[in-house]
Amino acid sequence: METRPLGDTGQESAVMTFGAIALNWLEQEGANQMVELVLDHGVNHFDVAPTYGDAELKLGPKLRQHRDDIFLGCKTQERDYEGAKRKLERSLDRLGVDSIDLHQFHGLEYEEELDTITGDGGALEVYREAKAEGKIDHIGLTSHGDPDLILDAIDRIDDLETVMFPYNPVVAGKDDAEHDYEAVLERCEAEGIGTLGIKAFAKGPWPSTDELPEADRPYANWYEPVDSPDEIRERFDFAASRGLDTVVNPGDPKLVAMVLDAASRYEGMDEARQRALIEELRHEDSPVPEQLHH
Amino acid sequence: MGVDVPRTVRTALADRPVRGRVCLEAGAGVGNATAGLLDAGASRVYAVTNDPEHAAAVRERLGRTHPDRLVVVEADLRATPLATDSVDVVTAHGLCNVLDPPALDRVAAELSRVARPDAHLVVDDYAPPPEEAAVSRLFALENAAARLVDGRPLLTFYPADLLAGVFAGHGWAFERRETLLDPVPWTEAHLKAHANEVRDRAAALPSALGDPLEAMADDLVDDIGSERAGEMYSLAFRRTDE
Ligand SMILES: C[S@@+](CC[C@H](N)C(=O)[O-])C[C@H]1O[C@@H](n2cnc3c(N)ncnc32)[C@H](O)[C@@H]1O
Repeated sequence: METRPLGDTGQESAVMTFGAIALNWLEQEGANQMVELVLDHGVNHFDVAPTYGDAELKLGPKLRQHRDDIFLGCKTQERDYEGAKRKLERSLDRLGVDSIDLHQFHGLEYEEELDTITGDGGALEVYREAKAEGKIDHIGLTSHGDPDLILDAIDRIDDLETVMFPYNPVVAGKDDAEHDYEAVLERCEAEGIGTLGIKAFAKGPWPSTDELPEADRPYANWYEPVDSPDEIRERFDFAASRGLDTVVNPGDPKLVAMVLDAASRYEGMDEARQRALIEELRHEDSPVPEQLHH
Repeated sequence: MGVDVPRTVRTALADRPVRGRVCLEAGAGVGNATAGLLDAGASRVYAVTNDPEHAAAVRERLGRTHPDRLVVVEADLRATPLATDSVDVVTAHGLCNVLDPPALDRVAAELSRVARPDAHLVVDDYAPPPEEAAVSRLFALENAAARLVDGRPLLTFYPADLLAGVFAGHGWAFERRETLLDPVPWTEAHLKAHANEVRDRAAALPSALGDPLEAMADDLVDDIGSERAGEMYSLAFRRTDE
């Protein structure tokens, strides 16, 4: 599988990052097999979080066995010192390792959170101390939020080395500031910050729970994913060809093998085809009801 | 920002000097290229269409946000009501495929007339879709209906070389060709819009003739659903002083 420098971290990550939330829905034996499968395909960057059910615990055994082959990303949603410290220790404990390669502020949504993180007694202090102690190697951020907020975070956390954010053809086709993750990509490129893409395989929101009760959804994702090999491959190629360093698989374990296959066969996507994908989905909610042309 | 400008339009305009220039969007349609020109900083955009509904739609979509820079003109491009040598940048985004060859020639002549010496021209259109593409059957049906009712086809897909030749014949020096879309995504909404063109014409025919045409269009749309086929290209030219 193709690898790329993850910003200026010095890490070379495969174009696919294993989103280890997938392990949460597997028994331990299945989880072990899944880890072996992704490693066999050349994936060397794993991403996990304490909020992913049992994923940390289930990742533990194989992570310890292959510790040197895995660049481990983890996160916390805690914004203050005490909480972040507790959660970091807990993750190290549950994973059964001494250190985490990339620790990320998880799911940043509001400016105030950034104030707390960077303020006195904020989570950033924990991250920096842990870095000095060798418990973590790099500091990152993940967000589904406003691209402007991510840019602010880059300004305010000068040792930030990676960001993880949503990117797919629907997002790319929206022109407003709320969806301008391209500005984030450009900024990261200019500053040597590594980029990880999530929601690359999102098709749209699930139908309303009246139409489809939550218990009847066929996938564990909180959005409806694309799920045929061709669509998965197309979405992967799109995300990986637009400047992201690496693309995270959707959370449902049933989809992981298809993404592995797509990532293994990745050869880029030309721009006319990228535009075709954007254009095709732009019409899903075009402001113009009837349209003959593109 | 604010208005959604399709990537096709952005890409076609990216290497043209639009900021501060007077522009003519020939065949304004729903205003995609007009939106792109305004977004790129045109000092004025004349958006010309002969369809009153399109004119209203473009005013509705863009007129409020750009009252001082947008002029929607309802007119026939074969006799464009703009002064000679008055425009810096001309765009024809998806226009030529709705012009039959005689109309294309007359429109090309008019675009040359209104353009300043040294003006830029961008022509975006569709290469003829592959014969085996299912959409080709829908387009053929559309043309059959249009020939019966209007006496001429509705759609003519010109190969890029051919369009380049037509405009060269009217004093435009070819500068570049770029692929905007490959493949072209013909979505359900596009196909339904094309089926509506058949329906409009079917309504003007005796029902013995119109009904089967309409039914065929509906069947085709159901059958196809959506399809990816063909290419959309962008040609750029510079006015030469003949
Ligand atoms: C399909 S639209 C092109 C799409 C449009 N340029 C856009 O960016 O959204 C074609 C337009 O050309 C107009 N048109 C066709 N023949 C024309 C003519 N002879 N004179 C003026 N407008 C014409 C149609 O009414 C329609 O508005």
